[in-house]
Amino acid sequence: MSTAMNFGNKSFTPRPPDKGAFPLDHLGECKKFKEVFMECLKDNRYDSSMCRMQSKNYLECRMERQLMAKEPLQKLGFKDLLNQSGEDPKH
Amino acid sequence: MIFTSFLRETLCRTKNLMLSRTCSIHICTKAIQNMISSRGLYQHANQLLSRKASHRLSSQVRGVKSRKNPHTERQEEEWRKRNRTVLTYIAAAGVGMIGMSYAAVPLYRLYCQTSGLGGTAQSSHDAEQVESMTPVKDRIIKITFNADVHASMQWNFKPQQSEIYVIPGETALAFYKAKNPTDKPVIGISTYNVVPFEAGQYFNKIQCFCFEEQRLNPKEEVDMPVFFYIDPEFDEDPRMAKVDTITLSYTFFEAKEGQKPPIPGYS
Repeated sequence: MSTAMNFGNKSFTPRPPDKGAFPLDHLGECKKFKEVFMECLKDNRYDSSMCRMQSKNYLECRMERQLMAKEPLQKLGFKDLLNQSGEDPKH
Repeated sequence: MIFTSFLRETLCRTKNLMLSRTCSIHICTKAIQNMISSRGLYQHANQLLSRKASHRLSSQVRGVKSRKNPHTERQEEEWRKRNRTVLTYIAAAGVGMIGMSYAAVPLYRLYCQTSGLGGTAQSSHDAEQVESMTPVKDRIIKITFNADVHASMQWNFKPQQSEIYVIPGETALAFYKAKNPTDKPVIGISTYNVVPFEAGQYFNKIQCFCFEEQRLNPKEEVDMPVFFYIDPEFDEDPRMAKVDTITLSYTFFEAKEGQKPPIPGYS
């Protein structure tokens, strides 16, 4: 799967995700948060930096409903967002 | 008496012919006399016929060179012995090298298992890095999304956004959607690919839906998120200077019930 032949036999080796796989959201419990996030992306021309609050909310929803292992949000890269809104629950 | 003297003469002459030319006659006659007196004619004639020179005569022969010089013979043998030792050492070293090259394969595997590098040289991605990394604000990268299914897999699988703009060092979320249009539950398992190849090492997934079996009930539709970030070191790599688009491509395969796929990495 390499794009340049000068790599020889080296090919792309997929790496497993750091925290494993998301369990599937069969019941659509966090669908609302996802919709909000997608709206935000569309409004901001798909700029991820503008919609980090919404992505944080989506992940929090997952954590509450056992669809994701609970992690302190700093570990997920939301340190700056936590400083902004101080009352966010820290797990 | 006459007969003996005649015999003596003939013997001497024949002997003279047989021996080397340096044999002088007087030695010959003297020797013959001695021999005749001590051993008797019969024995002497026997000796003559057997064509052997007598010991006394040959020891007195001068000037014949022997092929082997006794003085150098010992040295030559020493050299030969030393050569043999050296050759043995060299042969042993050669065999040792071949053995080491065979032993290197399991040894390297052992080393990879203990060090956890998995045969590739790359920096470790640990949770602390996510916490402590700082976003590189002036480098915007476009991530495009691609979704595929295997030919025999009947899911409808597609990304929910065609592209997203991220910066290195900042975590980002993206969604895929999968629908099972059939009447039977289907288990799928996915893998991903990142293009360009060199950027793949900077693309770190915190959590996604790949490499584990995902079961979809009949007529079910789910959102599948991918939570990832680009390593901030991406900005410092000179090979990545021209790269501003990364494509993430997921492919879903159908998994048979009870099949345990191997986790990617060095096993």
